[in-house]
Parts: sequence; C-alpha cells; structure tokens
Amino acid sequence: MTQAHGGIRGWAADRKGVWSRLRFTSLRLRLVVVFGLVALTAAVSASGIAYWLNREAVLTRTQDAVLRDFEQEMQNRAGSLPGNPSQDELQHTAGQMANSSQRFSVVLVAGDASGKTVYGNSGALNGFTVQDVPSSLRAAVNRRQSVSSANKSPYHLYWQRVTIHGSPYLVAGTKVIGGGPTGYMLKSLEPEAKDLNSLAWSLGIATGLALIGSALLAQAAATTVLKPVQRLGVAARRLGEGRLDTRLRVSGTDELADLSRTFNNAAEALEKRVADMAARDDASRRFVADMSHELRTPLTAITAVTEVLEDELEMESGSVDPMIEPAVRLVVSETRRLNDLVENLMEVTRFDAGTARLVVDDVDVVDQITACIDARAWLDAVDLDAERGIHARLDPRRLDVIMANLIGNALKHGGSPVRVAVRDAAEAVVIEVRDHGPGIPEDVLPHVFDRFYKASASRPRSEGSGLGLSIALENAHIHGGEITAANSAEGGAVFTLRLPQDSSPLTEDPDDGEKAEGDA
Amino acid sequence: MGQNEPVPSLLLIEDDDAIRTALELSLTRQGHRVATAATGEDGLKLLREQRPDLIVLDVMLPGIDGFEVCRRIRRTDQLPIILLTARSDDIDVVVGLESGADDYVVKPVQGRVLDARIRAVLRRGEREANDAASFGSLVIDRAAMTVTKNGEDLQLTPTELRLLLELSRRPGQALSRQQLLRLVWEHDYLGDSRLVDACVQRLRAKVEDVPSSPTLIRTVRGVGYRLDTPQ
Repeated sequence: MTQAHGGIRGWAADRKGVWSRLRFTSLRLRLVVVFGLVALTAAVSASGIAYWLNREAVLTRTQDAVLRDFEQEMQNRAGSLPGNPSQDELQHTAGQMANSSQRFSVVLVAGDASGKTVYGNSGALNGFTVQDVPSSLRAAVNRRQSVSSANKSPYHLYWQRVTIHGSPYLVAGTKVIGGGPTGYMLKSLEPEAKDLNSLAWSLGIATGLALIGSALLAQAAATTVLKPVQRLGVAARRLGEGRLDTRLRVSGTDELADLSRTFNNAAEALEKRVADMAARDDASRRFVADMSHELRTPLTAITAVTEVLEDELEMESGSVDPMIEPAVRLVVSETRRLNDLVENLMEVTRFDAGTARLVVDDVDVVDQITACIDARAWLDAVDLDAERGIHARLDPRRLDVIMANLIGNALKHGGSPVRVAVRDAAEAVVIEVRDHGPGIPEDVLPHVFDRFYKASASRPRSEGSGLGLSIALENAHIHGGEITAANSAEGGAVFTLRLPQDSSPLTEDPDDGEKAEGDA
Repeated sequence: MGQNEPVPSLLLIEDDDAIRTALELSLTRQGHRVATAATGEDGLKLLREQRPDLIVLDVMLPGIDGFEVCRRIRRTDQLPIILLTARSDDIDVVVGLESGADDYVVKPVQGRVLDARIRAVLRRGEREANDAASFGSLVIDRAAMTVTKNGEDLQLTPTELRLLLELSRRPGQALSRQQLLRLVWEHDYLGDSRLVDACVQRLRAKVEDVPSSPTLIRTVRGVGYRLDTPQ
C-alpha cells in the first residue's frame, strides 16, 4: 500500500498537476487571506486601543503636572505682583515663573498704572507672545464667570493643545483672582510625541509580525487540511478507474479521518457489490458454457444419425416415404441450425471466459477470403475487389468466421451483389463488406454487434443465431482489430474490418525455442 | 475409392452410448468396418486382438482418458489415431497432438467430415514413387515406405512419414504450414497449423540427432519448414 502511494502521487501530479495545484492554491489562498484578516483585525484593534490609552495617559500626566505647576507659579509669583505692575516687574516675574521645573514659557499681561497694557515674557522658547495664544483661549480666560456654590472662582484655568510649525504644544492661560495679571504659558510636548511615535512604530512592527505569523500558520493549517483532501481525491480517482481495493490510511479522530473512514466503507461496499455481481455474472456464464457442453453430446449423436437420414433422402431409390420426407428434411435442417447455434454459443463462452486463443499463421488474405466465399457457394453473389499478395499473420480460422458472418449478414439483409474490397493500409489490412440493401436504421446501428439483437420484434426469425456479428467482432478484437458498421452514401450498409498486419505478438510464438536455429 | 479395395477397419473408442451407436451407424454406412469400445481399457484390449487400420478416440473417457490411451498406443504402435474432442478448447487440442494423435475432429462432428479425415489419414500410408533419397545419415526409401537412420529402421506413423516424404520431395525449399496441411492432412483452407507444428516436433524427436537443435528439418521464420541436407 505504502509503496503504491508514492507512485500514485507522482502519477497524479503528472496528470492533473497544473490544474489541481491551481485549484488547491485557491483554497489555500482563501485560508491565508482569512487568517490574515483575523490577525490584522486583532492586531490593529489591540495596538490601536493600547496606543490610545497610552497617549491619553502620557499626555494627561504631563499636562496635569505642567498645569499644576503653572497654577502654583501664577498664585505664588504673579499673585504677589502689585495691582498695576510695570513692564520690568512683569518681565522679571515671567522669567522667574519660567524657571520652574517644567520648563515652559510664560507671558504675563497686566494693565500698568497709566492704564496701558503691559506684557512680560520669559523670553525663552522662540519668543512666546500673546499672539501665539489662540484667540478663543484668550477669550475663555478673560471671561468672567458668575460665582455660585458650584463655581467658586470667577476666572478658570484653560488649556489647549496646538501645533506650531509642526510641533505639538500645550497652551494654557489663567487670570489671577482678585485683579492680578493674566498669565499664559506654552509648553512643548515634543518629548511625549517622540515617545508616542516610537510606541506607534513598535505596535506597527508587532502587527506586521502577527500578520506574517498568521500567514505561516494558515499555510500550515492549509497543508494539514489539504493533504488529506488531496489524498482523498487521488484515492477517489483510483476507485473510479476500477481499482476497487483502494483504501485510505485513517489517522486521528478529526472530521477528515471520519471522511476517510466513510470513503473506505464506501469503497469496501462497492468492492463487495462488484464482486457479487461478477460472481453472479460468472455463474451465469459458466451455466451457458456447461449447458452448451452438455448439449454437444446428444447433438453429436443426432448429427451423425441425421446424416444417415439425409443420405437416405438423396438416394435415387426413394426409400423414404413421401409423407415422411418433409419431416426428415425439417429434422435435418433444424439439426444443422441447432449445431450452428451451439457452436456459436461455445465460441461466445470461450470469449467470455478468456480461453479463446489465436493460432496465427502467415496467410494470403485474399486467398483466404476467396476460399471462404467458395466454400459457402457464394461466388456468384459476392463481388471481390482485391489483388492477391496481401499477406498477414493472423488466425485463418477466425478470419473465416469473421468473413462468413459479415458476408452472410450482408447477403441476408442487403441482398446480392455484395462487394468485398481488400486494402493494404499501413500496418493493417482493411476489408470492406458493402451490400446493396436499405442500409441499417440509425437507431439500430449502435446495436448491430449486440448478442441476439433483433432490429424489431416483428421481424421474421432469421436463420442466423443472433450471435454472428457479435462473434465476428470478438474475433476481430482478439486479433487486436476492429469492425465498424455504417451506412454508405450510395445506400446499403458497410462493415469495415481492420486487422493488424501481424497479430502474432498477441499469441505465444509457435517457434519458441527455435529462434536461433531458425535464423541460421 | 474403388470397389475392390479392402474395407478399412476402424476401432471407435467412445464412452457415450448414443454417440457410439450413431457414429458406428454413420461410419458403417460410409463403408468402414467398425469395432467399438466404451472405455480406454477395452479399446486397448480390442486393439491387440483386432489390429485395426485406424483408431477414432474420444478424449473424455472414464478411467484412463483419451490422451493416455493415445500415449500408450504410441509406445508400441504407429497406427493412425484421430481424436474426437468434445471441446475445441485449445489446450485439449495441443495436449492431444502432443500425445501423438495424427488429426483431431471437434464434436458435434459430421459423419462426412470424419469420413474424409479417416480416408485422408489412411491414404498417407499408400506407396508412391519408387526411389530413395538420403539426407545425411537419414535414408528415405519411397518404394518400401521405410526410413532408416544410420541403417536402423525408424518407426514413423503414416502422417509423420507423409510429412517427411513431402518435405524430402522439395529439399531445401520452405513449405508453409498451410501448404503442408493441404499436402499431408488434405485439410481445406482452414487447417489448424498446430497439427503441422506438433507433427514436426514428433518427427524431429525421431530423425534428428539432437531434437532441440535440428539440422534436418529446419524452421523458416514466418514461412514454415524445410528439409536440409546437413553439411
């Protein structure tokens, strides 16, 4: 079994290679795509959520620290400024505030003694000015809110994330309660952005790795699934070709193993069924063979005696009672027919049992056909169109059977003249038998070689056994030849017999063991 | 056949009563003297008592079968034997020919066919030209119808003798199996070429020094056989 496996696989690959590989690849492809999609969805959503949470956590922490610091600085430093500070004071305080641990830039806005608005800025960070603060934020910071139990202070701290020249910044502003200056701060979020970027990169790489991994997994899964499927396909094909002993090796307990088991059961049932049918067929064939053998013994005795009767009929003395004469003639002719029928049955059973053998000899085909026609007194009814000298190695007795059946059939159904043409084709002899009858109806044509086939039930019982053409065909087949039936364009049926020039390879060589001597 | 020729006497060995009676009837009407036996043992006994000219032998016999009867006869006798085989199964024919039969007829046999075969076999023993020919140590005396090898008489059946005569009449010339069938067996165009092959084998066993590498009766591939004078 295992030995056969390799060969079968190789054979299957040869035969349906491209086609099946394409087909299996598509299933494989589908598996890979589905696996990939699943992996992608999982990886992307996991990384997306992780990224988002991380981003929020990092930004909130930084922001909270900065804003707390800024608020404190505002309270401590800006709050301690006089009501109408000068430009210098503001500037100084802003610088002090910017020096805190969080390193942000500060702008302070206040009205000085003369009612003019003065600005003080910390100077660092590419000259942070009030203009850099979005106007909406400024409006929110300067809006005075009504104080209630829920809202204890009139001014709040507002913040916003902005992007200036492609870099992220945190901008915040607030007003010192009790008429102090308004302060704004600007803090660069660049380090955090860098951290988050590298996080995004690593998440992306992880997603890519997951995709590759899933593709590899899909391949492996596809292989484990498809290999049994492929084996099943090969086995099914073998089964279809008639090798009913094909079985699959069942391993594991999965669905594919179940399928293999089902396949094995089906194959076993099929094999048993076929064996049963073959046995029944064999039995009936043996019965026919035995029966025709049994018929032969009494038939031999009857035939011998019938001839005595026949001789008596032909005697001039007229020793047979004229009243009985028709009865005797009937017995004689029907015995002959029975003989032919049994002979044909024997011939058929020999073909069925495969015991028919070729006895090959080198013959002149046209001589043989002439002799066949002559022996049956058909010379007047048959028009032979052939030249002598076409030699072939075949079984002369079987050629005689074929020709007698074909010509006999043509004479019976087509009527004379029957034309027999012999041609010498490459490596073959082609013999055509054409009659001048009505031809063969199209619906009968496929059945002309069937045993006991009668074109119509109403047709009168012919003299033939109903086996003639079937026997002719079997005799052609055993030579490695063929007979085809067709209708000629000019009307009439044409049977074409094609026999190989040399049929001796199909039989055991009669000269075996003498080859060296024969060539001497 | 002329009226004054001696009536040939036949021995028919056949176990089936009906066939034996029918064939006896038919052959008697054809002008033969027929003795019958139902078993091989009886047949062999009758053979010693009556010395018939020819034996018609059924293959399927109770006790010792036709092939065995044939072989036993051949040990001592060269008289012609025609096998009556119920089956034309090829193996039967081959075994029959190998056991020494001269010809065979397939049942259901027609009396006329059997009669023709009998007469053809009997004619093989008839004398003809009165000359002699020698092929190496083999001397064929056509007048006495004897063959000697190294001065010793060879026991040949009429069929073997006729085959040798036909080959010796055309020394060095190949004769096809179909030709030999017509010349020796007087078969029609449907002769079984295995008759020739089997007879050649038996003949070689008797005339050749080494039957497996013949120097006298040579096979001509694709044609048939020819008789050569050894160098």
